[in-house]
Amino acid sequence: MKYLLSYIVGERTMEGADPEEMKPAMDAWAAFDREAVDAGALIAGEPVENVKTKVTVGEDGERIVTDGPFAESKEQLGGFCLLECGDLDEALDWAKKVPIQPGATVEVRPIMDLSQFGYESATVAPAKAKATA
Amino acid sequence: MKYVLALISEEGGMEDASPEEMKAVMDRWDAYTRTAVDNGAFIAGEALQPSPTATTVKIKEGEDPVVTDGPFAESKEQLGGFYLFECKDMDEAIEYAKGIPFQEGTVEVRPAMDFTDLGYEDFTPGPVKAKTSR
Repeated sequence: MKYLLSYIVGERTMEGADPEEMKPAMDAWAAFDREAVDAGALIAGEPVENVKTKVTVGEDGERIVTDGPFAESKEQLGGFCLLECGDLDEALDWAKKVPIQPGATVEVRPIMDLSQFGYESATVAPAKAKATA
Repeated sequence: MKYVLALISEEGGMEDASPEEMKAVMDRWDAYTRTAVDNGAFIAGEALQPSPTATTVKIKEGEDPVVTDGPFAESKEQLGGFYLFECKDMDEAIEYAKGIPFQEGTVEVRPAMDFTDLGYEDFTPGPVKAKTSR
């Protein structure tokens, strides 16, 4: 089953930081990703920037494009990963290992499996599964 | 370049929908996804189960993480799904965002950060190939 792990941070520690200072954190992220790939769990994962643009869809179907920056709440999405796990406990084990700074939060959401309705997910298979295919 | 499209909307609203209405909605989403796949943009995309099924893990300094049932934010508007696309630039990402078959909601477009210049491997695979047999 697939789970989306969203990394919610109060403060951005990577954007604009000195690469030398960032190295320990980034090495930790690389190790986490590598471990998740080797376990056949990692499907995709990215650090993301703050929202750059929003598209709002109104009741009338009209689409309005708004460029940032936005006066957001202090908490922002810093990144995410999509994992293939046996169950929620396994997803939570990964969430606890995410090398995010203390004070940050990992939100774990199960994805909705639409195959029961006859819709196939187009999402790629976990990276390791692909490598041995 | 990769972009995350986060789909934010009010939850619910489909409880009273007839099977035909549900199917029409899901067909629209499926068609949108297929278009992105055929264009070579689609890497990943999923609908999420409703926010009450979320679990939150708070990371603490020098202590065990704290696990709580429920989403991070108790708000009416929640993340309902997402797409991860490979687009040539922000304009293309915005075009995809405009095409999202929402009845009502907001699409947040976030560029992914790329650290490959610093020598870090990007573990996320490239876009899926469109299936030749449909």
